Amino acid sequence: MIGRIKLAGLIAALLVIFFPSLTLAQDINFSVSPAEVKIDNLSPGGAAEFELTIHNKNEVAHVFTFTTFQPPEEETREGRAEFPNASWISFFPQEIEVAAKSEANVTVSVAIPQEQKWAGQDWETWLGVAAESSDLLGVKLYVRLLVSTNPAMETRSNAGLFAGIAVAIVLLGYGGYYYFRRKARPG
Amino acid sequence: MKVVITSTIVAVILALTFSLPALAQENGTITITMTGLNEISISLDKTQWPLGDVASNTEYETSPPIEWCTLTVEGNCNVNTFIVGEDAKWIDNPSAYKWTLSNDGTNGEHIYGLWFRISGDTTRGPLGDGYVPITKTESEFWPYTGGSGSSLTPGDTKQFGLRLLTPTYFISSRQMQTQITISAVVA
Repeated sequence: MIGRIKLAGLIAALLVIFFPSLTLAQDINFSVSPAEVKIDNLSPGGAAEFELTIHNKNEVAHVFTFTTFQPPEEETREGRAEFPNASWISFFPQEIEVAAKSEANVTVSVAIPQEQKWAGQDWETWLGVAAESSDLLGVKLYVRLLVSTNPAMETRSNAGLFAGIAVAIVLLGYGGYYYFRRKARPG
Repeated sequence: MKVVITSTIVAVILALTFSLPALAQENGTITITMTGLNEISISLDKTQWPLGDVASNTEYETSPPIEWCTLTVEGNCNVNTFIVGEDAKWIDNPSAYKWTLSNDGTNGEHIYGLWFRISGDTTRGPLGDGYVPITKTESEFWPYTGGSGSSLTPGDTKQFGLRLLTPTYFISSRQMQTQITISAVVA
């Protein structure tokens, strides 16, 4: 049986044959910085933002897309657990076109839900940056994202608030009781 | 009345005394450490492998077999690299027909195999011939578990080639397309 397989893009292959000068543009070459981002002291309920810079070193513009990837445990930094939920990380924009020989920034936002169980955690996940392509070989660059949440911050915060409110209620109640009792006293 | 006002003021002061420090902690300093000037980048000097017509149950190798493409570490940080493949899809209607990428390099009906071999690697892989299956799970490219190699440093290169094993049976006259992604993360 004979079939046809286009493993690398027929049009691109024809360009290689007939327009050798364009072949350079088919190489993949871009960079991302920083290569590692560490966020410390992020409270549950809080959010942090930072920027990644994508440098398109090619002679043609490329569209870059962003993803998160949970690496296997053996590839993570020591003491780092799996990031619980990829939806806590967002990219703005979600894809970006970077002109030839140019740079562009993407904003990454990390938002942790306000739940006590997320306090005092050390997580790692990877942020993937890839150039859209129909070629056989593609490149993806990962940025290590290390997130540490504030230990027991929410406990203290809620305890303080509740204690304050409780004291206020007790004192107001006592004051009200004392006032009405005095008012009700004859003469 | 005086007692009510006094107790209210005391209550508010006490409540604020307890709660304000706690509230203030919610705005505690979040430290974002962007590992300075670290820029991650790898490049590939070849991204296409136009095969044309292929026969069923046949092996195809890039030419030259193991020095076909060169990966170069372009950034300024050491990297670990990985490789992942995907199903080959019919270009005209990707959702209608595909070749499933096998998880061990073997083939079957509508199932194809992909392999890579890094120049200098003569004993790696299940057959001990240097060829390693490319699967849909991201796996080590370089360095690899059990190997003596270390992370790639800026300027390092790795030459490699690919091998395709076509399905034992497939629907002919359909152009198929797939992508192999090589990724990198700071070591």
